[in-house]
Amino acid sequence: MTRRIINHPVLDKIDETNVISFTFNNTELRGLKNESLAAALLANGIRTLRVHEESGTPRGIYCNIGHCFECRVTVDGQQGVRACLTPLKEGINVSSGETFLTSVRDWRSENE
Amino acid sequence: MSKVIIIGAGPAGLSAAITIAENGLDVLVLDEYMIAGGRLLGQLYEEPNGNWWNGIKESQKLYEKAVELGVKIYLNTPVSNIEKIDDTWVIYTNTETYTTSHLLLATGAAEAPLPIPGWTLPGVMSVGAAQVMTNVHRVKPGYHGVIIGVNVLSSAIAMELKLAGIGVECIALPKMNKVTKESGNPMDVMNSLLHVSHMAPSTFVKLGSKLMKNEFMKKLGISFFPKSGVKMWDIPIMLRKAVIEIYGDGKVEGVKVATISPTGEVIAGTEEKIGADFVCIAGGLYPLAELAAVAGCPFYHIEELGGYIPLHNERMETTLDGLYVAGNITGIEGAKVAISQGITAGLSIIHNYGLSNQEAAIQAAIHHIEQTRKEAFIQFHPAVKEGKQKLKQHWENHRNSKKLEILS
Amino acid sequence: MEKEMIICRCEEITYGKLVETANTYNCTSRELKLRTRAGMGYCGGRTCRNMVDSIAYSSSERISTEITLKYQPPIRPISFGDLGAVER
Repeated sequence: MTRRIINHPVLDKIDETNVISFTFNNTELRGLKNESLAAALLANGIRTLRVHEESGTPRGIYCNIGHCFECRVTVDGQQGVRACLTPLKEGINVSSGETFLTSVRDWRSENE
Repeated sequence: MSKVIIIGAGPAGLSAAITIAENGLDVLVLDEYMIAGGRLLGQLYEEPNGNWWNGIKESQKLYEKAVELGVKIYLNTPVSNIEKIDDTWVIYTNTETYTTSHLLLATGAAEAPLPIPGWTLPGVMSVGAAQVMTNVHRVKPGYHGVIIGVNVLSSAIAMELKLAGIGVECIALPKMNKVTKESGNPMDVMNSLLHVSHMAPSTFVKLGSKLMKNEFMKKLGISFFPKSGVKMWDIPIMLRKAVIEIYGDGKVEGVKVATISPTGEVIAGTEEKIGADFVCIAGGLYPLAELAAVAGCPFYHIEELGGYIPLHNERMETTLDGLYVAGNITGIEGAKVAISQGITAGLSIIHNYGLSNQEAAIQAAIHHIEQTRKEAFIQFHPAVKEGKQKLKQHWENHRNSKKLEILS
Repeated sequence: MEKEMIICRCEEITYGKLVETANTYNCTSRELKLRTRAGMGYCGGRTCRNMVDSIAYSSSERISTEITLKYQPPIRPISFGDLGAVER
């Protein structure tokens, strides 16, 4: 976990002992208990949390404090969960959303 | 039914909760984040006296004091709506519905983005997001990044990233367009930076104070501003380069910058690439007042305060009975101002509850807000005081029009 | 490049579309939102509202006495299962 800042010149050293496991898109990963799911995924080098439902473009965290909803994922079957606000628990299964099965054509007049 | 409910466990909300609990009323604080402290959590800077302002420690102190006094704090609890039914405020959350006669909104601020082609790529985040990731969660947003937007917030956070051992390639302007406007204009940015020059070490201060003198000098200064930037904490601040695109295949790989004229126009043929694995967008903060809006507060757009402000007086009362505001919802300022506003709101609530007369304490608290504002180390807008004056005028006008309604 | 730049991330509405619509209809930001869907997505317009306002008010006067893009409850998405009874 090279992405973590264990020692800091001003802030206290963090406790990195409480390691738990969880899955993201069926891959088993490790993170620290009660850290945010977004932080745990980033510590594992994962930036893409979902794709835009219509266009399929990849998306990751943007605001990191619950305002933008860009980091929404599915946690144990519950959709629309903001990864940045969700404390990491042992054994949770996280998956990113997919594009809609049926796309909507652009219905604006100039495209008809 | 709780005696008092506070939405937002940041510096304003927690200070209000402490003040109210100290006077014997029971308080419930709701916040959608997983840790109490709000935006205070991420803050970390060295004060002129050499002490570090550590947002995590400050948040903990407030949180622990509140809990000790018996304040109930429910985290991970997003509020989706509030409404007034008869004389009661009803607060809807994702789990329970709560009611109270006195409700304080301390919901803080949200970040305003600067749009850049490619800004939806994973790895592009708001500058506040990088701050929280670094200082609160202690995970690096990346190894080397670029910050877009030159302002108080971005320069403070750039320093925090450096402190945590994260590389910052440069802080540059966004390309000017109908959205970025002043943020993309070197002259305007230079002007606003002069007000924060005391934050920067030597070269920048000297440069700034020299250029203060007149418009001609400012123009000259920006024309001669080194294309490679001026270094602050070893990070090049580029006022003559704008990011025209963020590129990468599925994630950020770098940015394209171009040299711009003193008025912000891109000079053709000057494009170059800067590699980066993350990009921060720093468009500033605006008051997050959505709950005050759905409650029906009148609003005024006040540039100096950062956006639309729910009408309120110096006692932190809104025009709606039993509804109060404190902290960044009332205008973008530092955490210390938010704390003093929270205390004021708390005293107003106790006073209006009729338990004890707090008039003298309220007046002292209002004075303390002004004092804190005057001594603030970080000023988000140089004319906050004028903005507050405008708001005061709107309040007077509103009260007078209400009086006329009653008379007629 | 700039024309294709996204303003509303939720609905993927571009700068080009918004500027063109603002120019064609010379409209307020509310009308701009309704015509393009910018600000009508999952986040409730929290991320793009200032940008939509800026584009609308680059050609017309800003109304400073009321919020131009209305907030609508619920301000956070909630599932029907979570809509409980009032507890007093």
